[in-house]
Amino acid sequence: MREGPVARRLLRLVTALVLAFLLAPMVAVILLSFSPTELLALPPRGFSLRWYGELLDSARWMLAMKNSFVVAGATTVVATLLGTAAAVGLQLGRFRGKAVLVTILTLPMVTPYIVTAAAMFFAYSLVGLTGSLPGLVLAHTVVAVPFVVVSVLATLQTFDATLLRAAASLGASPATALIRIVVPNIWPGIAAGAIFAFATSLDEFVITLFMAGPGQFTLPRQMYASVREFLSPTILAAATMLFLCSLLFLLVSEALRVRAERRGRA
Amino acid sequence: MRRLLGKLAGLAIGVFAAVMPAEARDLTVVAGGGALQDHMRRTLFSTFAGGPVVDTAYDYNVGPIRAMVQARNVTWDVVLVEAPDLIRGCEDGIFERIDYSVVDRGKFMPGGATTCGAGAIGWGVAVFYDEARHANGPATFQEFWDTQRFPGRRTLRRGARITLEAALMGDGVAPADVYRVLATPAGQARAFAALDRLRPNLVFWTGGQQPIELVNSGEVAYALGFVGRTANGIRAGARYNLRWSTLLYAYDSWAVVRGSANAAAAMRLIQHITEAGPVTELTKLWPINPATASVANDPDVRARNPLMMTNHQAGGLEINTEFWLEYGPDLEQRFASWVNR
Amino acid sequence: MRRTNWLAALLIAPLMLLILGSFLLPVGFALFTAVADREVAATLPRTRAALAAWDGVGLPPEPAFAAMAQELGQALEDRRIGDMAQRLNFERTGMRGLLLRTARAAGRLEAPYAASMVALDARWGEGDTWLLVQRAGGPVTPLYLLRAMDLQRAPGGGVQAVAAEEALYRQLFWRTLGISLAVTALCVLLAYPVAYTIAKLSAPWSAVALMLVLIPFWSSVLVRSTAWFVLLQREGPVNQAMMALGLIDAPVQVVGTRIAVVVALVHVLLPFAVLPMHSVMKRLDGIYLRAAASLGANGVQRFLRVYLPMSMPGVLAGAAMVFLLAVGMYTAPALVGGDRDQMVAWFIAYFMNREVNWGMAAALSAYLLAMTGAAIGLARVLTGGVATIGGRA
Repeated sequence: MREGPVARRLLRLVTALVLAFLLAPMVAVILLSFSPTELLALPPRGFSLRWYGELLDSARWMLAMKNSFVVAGATTVVATLLGTAAAVGLQLGRFRGKAVLVTILTLPMVTPYIVTAAAMFFAYSLVGLTGSLPGLVLAHTVVAVPFVVVSVLATLQTFDATLLRAAASLGASPATALIRIVVPNIWPGIAAGAIFAFATSLDEFVITLFMAGPGQFTLPRQMYASVREFLSPTILAAATMLFLCSLLFLLVSEALRVRAERRGRA
Repeated sequence: MRRLLGKLAGLAIGVFAAVMPAEARDLTVVAGGGALQDHMRRTLFSTFAGGPVVDTAYDYNVGPIRAMVQARNVTWDVVLVEAPDLIRGCEDGIFERIDYSVVDRGKFMPGGATTCGAGAIGWGVAVFYDEARHANGPATFQEFWDTQRFPGRRTLRRGARITLEAALMGDGVAPADVYRVLATPAGQARAFAALDRLRPNLVFWTGGQQPIELVNSGEVAYALGFVGRTANGIRAGARYNLRWSTLLYAYDSWAVVRGSANAAAAMRLIQHITEAGPVTELTKLWPINPATASVANDPDVRARNPLMMTNHQAGGLEINTEFWLEYGPDLEQRFASWVNR
Repeated sequence: MRRTNWLAALLIAPLMLLILGSFLLPVGFALFTAVADREVAATLPRTRAALAAWDGVGLPPEPAFAAMAQELGQALEDRRIGDMAQRLNFERTGMRGLLLRTARAAGRLEAPYAASMVALDARWGEGDTWLLVQRAGGPVTPLYLLRAMDLQRAPGGGVQAVAAEEALYRQLFWRTLGISLAVTALCVLLAYPVAYTIAKLSAPWSAVALMLVLIPFWSSVLVRSTAWFVLLQREGPVNQAMMALGLIDAPVQVVGTRIAVVVALVHVLLPFAVLPMHSVMKRLDGIYLRAAASLGANGVQRFLRVYLPMSMPGVLAGAAMVFLLAVGMYTAPALVGGDRDQMVAWFIAYFMNREVNWGMAAALSAYLLAMTGAAIGLARVLTGGVATIGGRA
């Protein structure tokens, strides 16, 4: 479709403004996190790493960071293993009701987090899982695993099933074929899913607020508590670091996507 | 396939082992956080001879404590709790009974030693304003409600407790009659009607630091805020006029979470942190209002801290815990409904 | 073939079990909590049994009084009276006081218990008090689901509205719906031109622009809500900039207003609208449009008759996703909203953490779940079942 030059310029202007609206808050937070004073003024009057120093010196923030990475790491391992296996199973199986299975496995994505959090809080406390890191990992796995399933399923669409039959005709057991042939072919999808699982766990806040034991702080929870207590630029330094993590995840996942697309085309 | 499953199981177990909490847990004490807890750590917790103590903060929400007890995964030992939570939690068996063979019952102010709680520190709210901005301000709740004589915005706590008492006194009810009146439908209507009148000039605060910030920025002229924080502001040089005649106060208590593996040590810790020695040290760093009678009545302590609530408690109104346990759910709902209207 | 299916089942089973055990069962349990009535049955079993045969006329028989007196005393002694007292007090204010007073006096009460209990407190002589206890015997109650809609059981049976000054939740749901719809509409309006432009941009620029959408998409909701909280402070950058530009004379209070909530939510959810629209538009073939042009349609007609309908699946998927996330949002309103801007999620958290009233938290969750279910259903119907609604992927 061709629109007139005026319309096109207008559209591009709107797009630029919306994109600026999307990015401006993060840019402002990054700038403010280097502010030398507690004053939250833009443009910053000077440059200082003071708040990053405070962040790294603070036992509370460091503990939160450790908790966050332990939980996100464990969540990623569990979610990637279970999610990949299930996606491969869904692709391999020839039975009815597959759509129902996929829907069930992806239900945690469309359930409001607050409802998931409340439900888990009730149920997990009955079996002694609230307030423990394993319980938190379990909860995070539930909300992270659908992304792995979706991501691996998408890559599997481009996987040539005749390779499996060829392997079987050569005498390979299904398990061997799976590990030797399927996994090496779909690893970009697995990796993308794993990154998404990690990012989901690292960012997750609402479920953590309820499931994590009182005192078990993760980065988002520590950030929320600090914002409500006293707004210090240390929070902005933490936000910037979390943001840089997200940026890194985005770049890696994009690289993986490009790679998977090339492979799919080849 | 079996090998694959074995590997998966091994990995999963390894992961869970990695995130499982360590077995031996230090005695854990939990309070409201902030600067006060820093001072408590220095004077109360670190001076305990019965082993290492770690402390962490919470926001006075008891939901997680209930879940912890129900889940039999108790990671806290000693908690600083508000009076209504203490009583309800005690009736439900969320807190252990205080072992008064370890904790000396006689050292507390009257009412400070209950079944499940040992008196810790008092807190209160009172009207204050910045004298640099307002030479003359309300000294009673009736004046706080008088927007003709004292124009300008005011701030109250968002919530029924404290706010409804203030509203009734603002409407002319004597402090001694507040809870009797508030227990009647007519009295409740009267309190909300009083809030209605003030509403055009009213903002609510939720966090304890907000009244200070609102007064400092000039956003409100008069505030009902925590006396401890206001007193600290005055000690730091702010020109607040703190109206003790409007004091509403209560006491928090130390309690032991039911099922704590360290219950015996927790009792010894409570005995220690309510002793005159450490508590007196704490009063030197922070104008707390101890529930330990000998400290509260110590002329030296009182003279050193003219802004201590204990010095001004006589004219104040003690917040009625039993009243709020009974009427709280209903009035809080009604208050939320009113705020949302 | 059979062997393959076995392998497939074996591969799917672990995750299925995980989702079943740690998600579906908990959600089911929560839904049951919304109607469960356990407290009286657990604390006063003999009283409940004695009341079972009572016809509700006048006062119950003496054994009910005796059982009540003994069980209340025992419950206080065993420290498990609070939950039951809170449950009955929630339905009728004042019950807590009555129950505890009676429990404390239990040792002094004696047969005939009816007489001595009425002497202790006249409320024991009212049939209503006993009806309340009888009805709370469980196993299920509509109490919480009714209350979460500002309704209650009428004294003579049937359902009536709660007093106007206690009404809260219907307005809360309307507000949640209103904010979510406004945010959805704004997101769709802003996202459409962006998705369209990106789909039309040539190679390197479209990728760059898409990346700019993906950056906020990947960064945490909490980080972005915090960013708005900072920017909109009274002494914050937005106010400073507006004052420097001469738009306002004095700082404006933005944090704590509905505007702040909507702005933050639009910011948080906008990428969820852009991405599905973009993926549909990218695939829209120029052929139909050229065909339309060759048939003499002008630009506006082509857009309205051809492009817009063809891009609708993307619009609907994006709108559904935004709405779905908005209705359940806790973080952004909690951070930047004020007294009158909190949504359902805030009250769920309040009942869980502060009031410790799990029945109410569960009832509100049930309605919230129903709202999201309806939204998904509607999106499916509108798109003829093709809308795939996913999270961030």
